Amino acid sequence: MSAPAAPHTELVELETPIGREWEPVVRLVLGGVADRLGLGFEELDDLQLAVERLFAEAGAQPSVKLVLELSDDRVRAHVGPLREATIAAALQGPPEPGQLGLRRVLETVVDSFGVDEAEGGELVVRLEKRVPAR
Amino acid sequence: MTTASAHGPSANPDRELLRRYHVDGDVSAREALVERHLPLVRSLARRYAGRGESLEDIEQVGAIGLIKAIDRYELAREVALTTYATPNVVGEIKRHFRDRGWTIRIPRALQELNVKMSGAVERLTVRKGRSPTIAELADELDATPEQILEAVEAGSAYSPVSLSASPGTEDDLDLMEVIGEEDKEFARTDERASLEPALGELPERERRILRMRFEEGLTQTQIADRVGLSQMHVSRLIRRSLEDMRDTLSE
Repeated sequence: MSAPAAPHTELVELETPIGREWEPVVRLVLGGVADRLGLGFEELDDLQLAVERLFAEAGAQPSVKLVLELSDDRVRAHVGPLREATIAAALQGPPEPGQLGLRRVLETVVDSFGVDEAEGGELVVRLEKRVPAR
Repeated sequence: MTTASAHGPSANPDRELLRRYHVDGDVSAREALVERHLPLVRSLARRYAGRGESLEDIEQVGAIGLIKAIDRYELAREVALTTYATPNVVGEIKRHFRDRGWTIRIPRALQELNVKMSGAVERLTVRKGRSPTIAELADELDATPEQILEAVEAGSAYSPVSLSASPGTEDDLDLMEVIGEEDKEFARTDERASLEPALGELPERERRILRMRFEEGLTQTQIADRVGLSQMHVSRLIRRSLEDMRDTLSE
């Protein structure tokens, strides 16, 4: 069912309330994207975990936006804007030894990540997962 | 079906007890009402058995719904208490499962597909030497990619006790490690410091799995092979452990 991916970048956007009951919606969207790209089942699971952890850290804000940028060989997920200052601290500061924090999780499950500033000083976290060569 | 009389004579004692509780403030009447309708709670709770919570726990949650129904009941409405309480009890039980992050009412076909998924993932992983794609899983199980994704979601509805271990494969998968590339924005932590202090509260198996994943950098498939669980089971244990740790930190 993996249709040939378009040569250019395509965007999929989803804005969702934050809460465990909405996590399946996010996972299903990521699953659909993984199917389009031919991402492996385990790589999909990694990407889902990364996005879930970011959503979990997003704290009390009512909703968050997920923008997925699809290329032939990778998916880039932009999660934000995130108000939570702790996210910046968790990602930008040096990882605390002995702690399994957000940074350690992202370092393990995605190929790269970074933080972009959105309007009003809010943050958008960028995650990248590459499609392994088959 | 909205009048008390439609529910037979048992509705009348209810009305009298409700009147005593709501008008006279007689707390013993409330207790009597709870006692009278616990069989209703039990029968409703049984519908939700087998989802990993003990029946007793579900009954207790349902009983809270019953008490709320009794407290909110308006005498002027003339609805039988059983009619009024049923959605309250069911709602309370559903909310309980939902708050635990579990989906409920999964169609049987999806449950069956989910059961087949673990084995299919392992078979294909061995056959292909890598994690299968959704499309490959769909082919293997004669399903659509959408059904595969839904079946995975159905799996997240299972509770801790139903996460029974499945036999691991004996094949040495020897998969290529895929992580560890240098990040453009964030240099990875070179030394993978021990995570032991963070894992203190978790059971030994979960601690071992988290160490393998986040300290040694093993893939889920490699971990599954070592601990004799399926990759999907490892995935669920990692998720739950991270949530538990987060809950513990925020307490």
